[in-house]
Amino acid sequence: MLHVNKIEVAYDRVQVLFGLSLSVNRGEILCLLGRNGAGKTTTLKSIMGLLPLQQGAITLDDEAISGLPAHDRPARGIAYVPQGRRLFSELSVRQNMEVGLMASGAGRETQEYALSLFPRLRERLKQRAETLSGGEQQMLAMARAICTRPEVILLDEPTEGLQPSMTSLIRDVIVEMKGNGVAVVLVEQHVDAVLSVADRVTFVEHGVDAETVDVSVLKEQPEMVKQYLGV
Amino acid sequence: MDFGPYLFVASLEGAITAAVLALTAVGLSIVFGIMRVVNVAHGEFFMLGAVIAWWITSLIAGHPALGFTVALVAAPIIVGVIAVVCNRLVLHKIDYEPERTIVATIGLLYVIQQTTLMTFGPEARPVEAPFNQRIALPWFEFGESGFALTWPWGLSTTTYKLAVIVAAIVILLILWLVMTRTKIGLIMRATQLDQEMAQAHGIAVGRVYALVFGLGAALAALGAVLVVPIQQAHYLMGGDPLLLSFIVVIIGGLGSVLGTVVAAILIGMSDGIISVFFTPTLAKILATLLVAFVLIFKPDGLFGKRRE
Repeated sequence: MLHVNKIEVAYDRVQVLFGLSLSVNRGEILCLLGRNGAGKTTTLKSIMGLLPLQQGAITLDDEAISGLPAHDRPARGIAYVPQGRRLFSELSVRQNMEVGLMASGAGRETQEYALSLFPRLRERLKQRAETLSGGEQQMLAMARAICTRPEVILLDEPTEGLQPSMTSLIRDVIVEMKGNGVAVVLVEQHVDAVLSVADRVTFVEHGVDAETVDVSVLKEQPEMVKQYLGV
Repeated sequence: MDFGPYLFVASLEGAITAAVLALTAVGLSIVFGIMRVVNVAHGEFFMLGAVIAWWITSLIAGHPALGFTVALVAAPIIVGVIAVVCNRLVLHKIDYEPERTIVATIGLLYVIQQTTLMTFGPEARPVEAPFNQRIALPWFEFGESGFALTWPWGLSTTTYKLAVIVAAIVILLILWLVMTRTKIGLIMRATQLDQEMAQAHGIAVGRVYALVFGLGAALAALGAVLVVPIQQAHYLMGGDPLLLSFIVVIIGGLGSVLGTVVAAILIGMSDGIISVFFTPTLAKILATLLVAFVLIFKPDGLFGKRRE
């Protein structure tokens, strides 16, 4: 499905990724774990095309997508839910979702599907995104991405700062997407959340993939978390 | 003429200035709001609109309305296309980097201005209005026998001047509908709010920028075509609209279309009224002072939002 092969990425002159690789298959959840500044967000942005690669390649279904501009990637099935949600704040809930629909050319049934996952958004369709609560904003960020009908979804700390009930809802939606065959790349700080949803975990350290293990291995060897995260 | 009717005439003149200024400044405002480009060459797109309107009307024989109608449609399109080319050749090449775009558009200003001088010459060029009937305006007076309708000598305007005001209102309404009710408007607003997220949701930001730069220039050109039967076309005429547009955009709030329109009405009306009663120079001085006060006390403008 999605293969990231030894990518090197820099912000201006500051190099952040030094040959990072990962792969994720359909219906699989790959979790990226690592300390702050390890390069997790940079990895997601690079896959989305928001940062140019200096070296390496990204392929989707064996087709190179490294050269594609960011705006062509949603049509290839890649969706991105960034850290901090980054909604179109002055647009309504409906309009935010319409931007997602435009990317995929999907119809109302896709919007209805997204609303069925997050019924509370249905009551807020005309409300401006900036007036939503933090949890509702996260729902909308997810719904907007789902409206692009993704085959691969990149989630950057989707449960950050949310109350437990909201965290649980987001987690359920991630599992449902996996069940629908979507490949999920999840950046998450909460190890418990990782253990409950992930299939595999890639530890990111100093801009490279230090180790990739099955989540069952991580459950058996919790000391790995301490080794890579220091917690 | 008494003070009341005189003020009324001055207000009408101000309304024409406000109408044309609103079109021009909204063009500048959307370019800044969506692209974050301070387009110093905006006044030259205004000037190009006027000069091209003169050129088109001079080519078309027959009733003045015929040439003017063609100019009203063709001049903004031509100017819009020129702006899109400038965007591609200049702004795109420097990656829309804010400081460099200021310098680059200063360069564009001189290139467009001097090219116009070399092509069309230094003369002021008149364009005949498509219709221009003078109409007397009534005034109300309270005399010994109560309210009375009078027709003071000199209290008049022309049908064309009234049409300019109506046309500007209609164009701004259409623009508002496009921005708030259409898919392309949604794309432009999403790009304005978060360019990176717009890209991540399939919006080709480069194409949006080209469209917005073209649209901004076309709006300036449209304002110029409307005003050229009143003002005459000249290669140096871009200076005042640029200054006033910047004043309006700063007072209204950078990137706020509503604020721009409100500020255009405020500045345009005061410019017209002060110009009639005193001098146009005093009007510009006062407007510039107002900008200074806005920058000191409300730096984001009347309707602007602080950007993160």
